[in-house]
This record gives sequence, structure tokens and C-alpha cells, in this order.
Amino acid sequence: MATKGKSGSSKGSDVVQVKNPRTDHYVKIDRAAGKIVSHKKSEGPYKNIPVARKRK
Amino acid sequence: MILYNPHDGDAIVTATRSSPKHCFLMTRLGDEIPEEVRDMRAGITKHCKAAGFTVIDAGTRVTGRDFLLKIWGLIAASPLSVGLLHPKIPAKTQANIYYELGIAQALGKETLLVKAPRSRVPSDFIRTEYVNYDQHFDEKFSAFMQSLPEQADHYETVADQLDRNPVLALDYLRRAYLITGEPRLHEKAKSILQAANIKDRARNSVEQLTAAF
Repeated sequence: MATKGKSGSSKGSDVVQVKNPRTDHYVKIDRAAGKIVSHKKSEGPYKNIPVARKRK
Repeated sequence: MILYNPHDGDAIVTATRSSPKHCFLMTRLGDEIPEEVRDMRAGITKHCKAAGFTVIDAGTRVTGRDFLLKIWGLIAASPLSVGLLHPKIPAKTQANIYYELGIAQALGKETLLVKAPRSRVPSDFIRTEYVNYDQHFDEKFSAFMQSLPEQADHYETVADQLDRNPVLALDYLRRAYLITGEPRLHEKAKSILQAANIKDRARNSVEQLTAAF
């Protein structure tokens, strides 16, 4: 089951968010399920969902 | 990415070419090109070149084979498709441009319409981003081109989150690669194949074809 991580750190969190620059809206991704689960309609990030960064 | 042949409906099981940093331009071709359309093409080409992109069109490659399949291949191989619209472009050509724009969007390409201010777009394309060819064209088109690396960064970041969905991760990486042309993304694709333990699948399997960019 997916778990929500603490805001600010995406390490170990199953649910993360990334900002799509084309829309300027955040996209929520469930890593455990391997799928994009939702697109935020309003501005700003989802609450309590860490923002994922690119891996080196 | 699974591509289906538009003629027979069967899946295409050969690797799609990759043409990183290429812009597929959809416009009027041939000898009877209105002067205004030539100007618009020159403007697009100037900004693409400044961003390190090469502009190609349906006449760039001569294959001697089916023309529609060639267009599909060129769109699939390129990261960006730009449609050029002007009232002096015949209606049949404009219909082809919209058709090709639809293909590009279905294949997850970056798309943009560049149009004369008095050109009207069909309702299906109202939400498609467009730039008018007017006094603001240089600024807006240049900004669009400069936004592409950030979009590639987004695709790579999404791919990094999708370990449990390797085909989707590979397709996002491919989209990032086509925009940036960075060879290091091939290594990431190999890592995904290894981690997912699917590197032994048939060479023309969907996952192997998706990773072959």
C-alpha cells in the first residue's frame, strides 16, 4: 500500500509529486503502484506530499 | 511506445529512429509556397537553430516507400512538431497539418501551432498552444524553445519515479532524450531494463523497442 511521506523529503515515500512545467501544475505519482495518480487542478503543490527530484 | 501501422492496424515491431533535437515542421511544401509562409518558416527555423534544433519536413527524407508511413516515422523520431498555418495555405494542406499535429500529440511530442493572426483554428485545437506570427513572435517562439530543456527535465524526473512501471519510465526517458540528446539517458534506460529484469525479452518486445532510442 502506498504511504505518504513527510513534506520536503521524497526518500522512502511511495507517493511523491512533480511539477509539470507545461501546465505549471503538480502531478502526483504513486511509486509503489508505478503510476501517475492525479493532476492538481489548482495552483501550488499538494499538501504533505514530498516533491521528487531527478536522480543523478 | 506501441506504434500501429495506419494502413493495416498491426503493431510496428521494428525500432523507431531517434532524431534528437529535431523539429518536424508541418507546412505547405513544393514550389507554390506563398511568400508569407516562407517568411514564417524562416522565422521558425531561425529560433530552432538558435536552440540547437534542426528543422525537417516531409520532404527531408526520400525513402521511396509509403509517404504517410514516412511522415509517421519522422514525427515519432522527433521531439517537436510545429504546425504552420496561414490562410493562403490550401484547405487540403491545412487538413493534413491538423492530422499530423494529432499524430504528434498522440505520440507525446511537444507541439506548437504557429499561425497568421487571422487564421482560425478548429475547436479541437483550441487548447493547443499557439503563437501568432506577429510583432511578438520572436519573443514567444524563443521562450517556447527555451522551455523545452525544463520539460525534458520533468520527463526524466517522472521516469525516475516509475521503477515499478519500466515501460512507462523508458518512454518518459525517450522523450527526455529526444529533447536533449544526452547520451547518459541511454545508460539510465539500460539500468531500468536491468533492474526490471526484462533485458532478456525478445529484441522486438515493447520494452526493448521502447528502450532502443
